[in-house]
Amino acid sequence: FILMLSLTLGTMITITSNHWVTAWAGLEINTLAIIPLISKSHHPRAIEAATKYFLTQATASALMLFSSMTNAWSSGQWDITQLTNPSSCLLLTAAIAIKLGLTPFHFWFPEVLQGSSLTTALLLSTAMKFPPTTILLLTSHSLNPTLLSTMAIMSIALGGWMGLNQTQTRKILAFSSISHLGWMTIIITYNPKLTLLTFYLYSLMTTSIFLSMNSTNTLKLSTLMTSWTKAPMLNTTLMLTLLSLAGLPPLTGFLPKWLIIQELTKQEMTTTATIISMLSLLGLFFYLRLTYCSTITLPPNSSNKMKQWSIKKPVNTLTPTL
Amino acid sequence: FSWSSLGLAFHRTHLISSLLCLESIILSIYIALSIWPIKNQTSATLMQILILAFSACEASAGLAILIASTQTHVSDHLRNLNLLQC
Repeated sequence: FILMLSLTLGTMITITSNHWVTAWAGLEINTLAIIPLISKSHHPRAIEAATKYFLTQATASALMLFSSMTNAWSSGQWDITQLTNPSSCLLLTAAIAIKLGLTPFHFWFPEVLQGSSLTTALLLSTAMKFPPTTILLLTSHSLNPTLLSTMAIMSIALGGWMGLNQTQTRKILAFSSISHLGWMTIIITYNPKLTLLTFYLYSLMTTSIFLSMNSTNTLKLSTLMTSWTKAPMLNTTLMLTLLSLAGLPPLTGFLPKWLIIQELTKQEMTTTATIISMLSLLGLFFYLRLTYCSTITLPPNSSNKMKQWSIKKPVNTLTPTL
Repeated sequence: FSWSSLGLAFHRTHLISSLLCLESIILSIYIALSIWPIKNQTSATLMQILILAFSACEASAGLAILIASTQTHVSDHLRNLNLLQC
């Protein structure tokens, strides 16, 4: 309905913009459209998530506008692809990092995902990441590569570490998205097409995970353990999707990681490549724990009751096994 | 601008003060943008109107969120926003 339409409109405006004000306007439209989606249920947690989201995104938009303005002062250009002022580049990277949820500014992301329902969390983590990544792609040649790669390495580390002690599935997915964003930004100055590829594959896998969790309504790890009674086929595909998100070799999720590591070694950055592959082991641990909980364990009173849910899922979960 | 962004970063107890700081950030950007064409003899009035319209929408959305959060949480203080434990 109208909110979805305005979301797509805002995304389209930001993607097809070569002037800073149109990009900012598209981002604001996106923020405004998602806020009522987050706070649709009148649960206090949802409204608290909406406030946190609003505050962070509004500051990021204002920072972006300010950086474009300082750039315009120093160079007279309102073009996106020409950033000459180094301080405005710094401010812009900070603003985009806040919007995406990269590491120095990731604190809002798990709580906002936790407070929103599963479908809006899906929207938040895939669709809302798309316009800032396009802006990042457009401006990547003039941003500071060392800053971006340190933020990326820290976000992979933090995404792996803080996901280890979580029992709520939405928070786990939030940390996985933080680490995937780290993978995406580490390659952005060297080969932006890989960033896009990582983003597409990541959004595909994350949509299938979110939709399968939506159909079985699993919000906690304990609920995951009993989800095999509801739709066993869905559970197996969920397991495969989770392993693909972790990046195991025969599945699709390995492809972006492999290409990124290859590109990094071509650019003589082998230490960063080894560091990020070590850090993705941390993420692998809780992906494995999720799959273990969802498929292999049996609950104390194992009953094979089939419950009825809205079934739209099997189409979407088979695609990551391509 | 930097003064109000510092004020936004260090807001103490009330959510209203952070919304005020946000508005002052956007206002400072607006004033700076309206000073710039006078120096360079260009005109940027369409940008000004667009920025004003969007910032007004953002402010109203922030106020709506403030009202909703005071309906569910008891007061305005930032210490009450700890329902989503980490």
